[in-house]
Amino acid sequence: MRTTSKIRITRRTLLAGASGTLIASRAWAQQPSEVKVGLLVPISGIYARPGTVMRQGAEMAVEHINAQGGVKALGGAKLKLVVLDSGDTTEKAKNAAQRMVAQESDLVAASGAYLSSFTLAVTEVTERANLPVLTLSYSDLITDRGFKYVFQTSATAASQARQALPQIIKLAETASGKRPKTVAILTDNTAASIASAKSMREGLLAENQLQLIVDETFTPPLADATSLVQKIRSAKPDLLFFLPTVISDAKLLLEKMNEFGLGQGKVPTISFGIAIAEPDMLQTVSPELLQGVLTCVASWGAKGHEALIAELKTRYKEPWMTQNAISTYGDMWVIKDALEKAGKADRVAVGEALRTMDAGPSKYYPLGEIKFDQKGRRVGAGMTIVQWQSGVPVTVFPPELALAKPFWPKS
Amino acid sequence: MLRMRSFLPPLLFTIAYAALSLGVTNSYYQLILTLVPVWAVFGLSWNLLSGYTGLISFGHAAFFGIGAYATALGQIYFDISPWLLIPIAAVLGGIAGLLIGFPTFRLQGHYFALAMLAYPLAILYVFEWLGFQEVTLPIKRDAPIAYMQFADPRIYTLLGLAIMLATIVLTQFIERSRFGMALLAIKQNEAAAEAAGINTLAWKLRAITLSGAIAAAIGGFYAQVLLVVTPQSVFGMLVSAQALTVAMFGGVGTVWGPVIGSVILIPLAEILHAEAGARFPGIQGVIFGFAIVCVILLAPEGLFWKLRDLLRKRIAPKAPASDLPETSAANVTTLKPAPRQRAATGEVMLEVRNLSRSFGGLKAVQDVSFKLHQNEILGIIGPNGAGKTTLFNLLNGFLKPSEGEVLIDGRNMSGQRPHVICEAGIGRTFQVMRPFLRMSILDNVVVGAYVRARSDDEARKLAADAVARVGLSAVADRVAGELSTKELRLMELARAIAGQPRILLLDETLAGLGHGEADEVVAVIQQLARDGMTIAIIEHTMQAMVRLVDRFVVLDHGAVITEGLPEVVTRDNRVIEAYLGKKWVGHAAN
Repeated sequence: MRTTSKIRITRRTLLAGASGTLIASRAWAQQPSEVKVGLLVPISGIYARPGTVMRQGAEMAVEHINAQGGVKALGGAKLKLVVLDSGDTTEKAKNAAQRMVAQESDLVAASGAYLSSFTLAVTEVTERANLPVLTLSYSDLITDRGFKYVFQTSATAASQARQALPQIIKLAETASGKRPKTVAILTDNTAASIASAKSMREGLLAENQLQLIVDETFTPPLADATSLVQKIRSAKPDLLFFLPTVISDAKLLLEKMNEFGLGQGKVPTISFGIAIAEPDMLQTVSPELLQGVLTCVASWGAKGHEALIAELKTRYKEPWMTQNAISTYGDMWVIKDALEKAGKADRVAVGEALRTMDAGPSKYYPLGEIKFDQKGRRVGAGMTIVQWQSGVPVTVFPPELALAKPFWPKS
Repeated sequence: MLRMRSFLPPLLFTIAYAALSLGVTNSYYQLILTLVPVWAVFGLSWNLLSGYTGLISFGHAAFFGIGAYATALGQIYFDISPWLLIPIAAVLGGIAGLLIGFPTFRLQGHYFALAMLAYPLAILYVFEWLGFQEVTLPIKRDAPIAYMQFADPRIYTLLGLAIMLATIVLTQFIERSRFGMALLAIKQNEAAAEAAGINTLAWKLRAITLSGAIAAAIGGFYAQVLLVVTPQSVFGMLVSAQALTVAMFGGVGTVWGPVIGSVILIPLAEILHAEAGARFPGIQGVIFGFAIVCVILLAPEGLFWKLRDLLRKRIAPKAPASDLPETSAANVTTLKPAPRQRAATGEVMLEVRNLSRSFGGLKAVQDVSFKLHQNEILGIIGPNGAGKTTLFNLLNGFLKPSEGEVLIDGRNMSGQRPHVICEAGIGRTFQVMRPFLRMSILDNVVVGAYVRARSDDEARKLAADAVARVGLSAVADRVAGELSTKELRLMELARAIAGQPRILLLDETLAGLGHGEADEVVAVIQQLARDGMTIAIIEHTMQAMVRLVDRFVVLDHGAVITEGLPEVVTRDNRVIEAYLGKKWVGHAAN
């Protein structure tokens, strides 16, 4: 299904360039048995890695859907994935979105665009072109603009923090026998981290009777984590919320914690987001250091996804299924469901179907339903808590999705 | 006439571009067509400061980002229309330019470039800290046009073009005016510019203010096109680099450079991204980078200059045949050496009293006193290292004296900035010539005329006059890069007299000239003196000087060892000793 394998790479194809792709895409469009679905993710630049994993998830989903008979309401029409590179800047993402709506006029829906700032820019374009977009980006802003064609499958950043805290406390209470009282926040200043930390500071901690005793914001990349860790050591919080985006920052802090005798769970460390559970972590940080580290993510490979996780492993050599893979996998199925409901390969009809659909409990996103509210947020969108256990981050919460039991680090 | 002719190409280009963009219906191509003028204008704003003054700014994103955020936040928090916000952004950008320029212009060269790099990076973190990581412009469904939100993306292109045309015309106007001349002069040699009467700091501040205003305005427009503003997308390193890339690719220091760069590079990057990048993710960056490296190797100054040089070479073979005879004829007719009455007794124009200057332990000039009389030619001689050039630098303000005074018309001017002293009527030339190689002789000379001229036309007139006085009228339109040493010396002389100084300081004007050539220059200087100019000239070769000057001041080890009439001074034992050493004193006496 990959576009790269369709075209044999020769010097001539390279030279053929623009015209080749244009002609090819028209030719496909004329086949009535195909419905085109877009995937706009970063596959070049510094975000290429997560974008590539998203593409893997989408490819797997499209293959599965087609193998199971395609879109039945359209006479078994096959899904066709069109991948566009959002690059590594907001401008490139917007340009790619414009290219998507201008040159792939027969797309019925799309998924994208990883970073919430890219998604914001991309949906400015797709909204005006009435192209429905499903996104795993968290930012509340995405669905606060009154747009009709953007659908957020993840719980938003604010909602995630709201959901996560009581669960973390419950986890700590059952495992260690006492309720945590004090917390420290160490966060970098990227958009997603700031949003999570902000909602904790502004009420959530107080609601959960937690006292904030250390609150530090840093700019990635960290050069040295010593001063941060010293503050943690002298304050001795019951919980540490650590929100890095850059892997090197996570490594630096975890190593320094270990050096100061705070590592491996002496101070229970909880993160938000996917960074700390990316496969790349293992290339720089030893599994012992990561043991017990928790992170709250919008979605993760979980119970019921075992076959998918195994397939991803064998096909793409990915050690585990991150949010990027499973969410994008789910996006394709939701688009397929919407197509069934709409009964025609038309973006406006698919948009309408997404707005009104009620496809029951969600299978690939954690908890909730396949149903979107007025803002375009998935109804009942839950989240998962993932814990590093023996070198693999596994889903430990919610219980109905957990692949392993959580353990609370012994102090 | 000149203005109209230069205004026509940008106008035609804009009309052609507009016609092309109106014919495009694909909204993706329309977006790219909008981004081309955006980055062209940003490149032009960078060019206005860095292209013309040579002070490279790595931090133009600071202004761009301020404009973008002003436009976005103004709409979100105050509900102001971008039609109003973009001009406001320009004002803010201008203020930012002034605030950034004032401290940063203390630095030069690489230090300036690196300091500029810091501003956008610092501001980027401020905006992140303020919580503006992601700002989206609100959709105005009820009054889209009042909020610059058009359903037809071609209107954005037309707006971008309008801003580009305005910027081009403004740049062209500046290029030809006293402003542009001042900036070019600063680029070639800031010291020489100061000596030619240019207040370099004031002009640089004007340039960065204007440059910041343009960058901020186009940043505001960019926010309107992109609809989402993030610190990285407007303050990031890549943004600053974009300005440099389009300008350096197209050509620095010309209005067409950033336009050419943008017209080629922006669509090229997109095509690569869309076509090659779809097959080999990331390859677009490699090809793009490789293309830029090739252009920099083949055309280090940018495409525009390379093409212009090629074009000139095509036309050149015809030109010299018609030019040369006229040149020599002109030289012969105007320069008739004639005897001149020595006038060393007139009114005192410049008086130096007990002037000293030391560099650490080295006393470069010690306790020098002399007087320069009206219409006199004073020769300041001495062996290498005697302190002659240091003395001149003290006279025209490059250096501040440690002790002593310089009186011009009885007023103490010691310690004043060079351009102030130039305004007071002192012109100077330099031992090492600093012509503006790409400019014509006339344009080179115009730079010097602005200190007296109130208008551009007057400056041109004064310059033409000065060129005529040194006998270069026939070759006035040739670029300085093609001239011989003698012609360059004469051109420097013309630049110094274009400002109509009363006193002329000539620093080794005869150096590097052949025998016959030196005579021609001497004849010009004599003619200037006949016309009433007061002249002080430095030389270490005595021969030509003896025939030229009225009086000598002889320096050795920074101090005056003697002064007087040429015939007397050349027989003075102390002078012979200073020049040739002790053992020659005896020979000379015989």
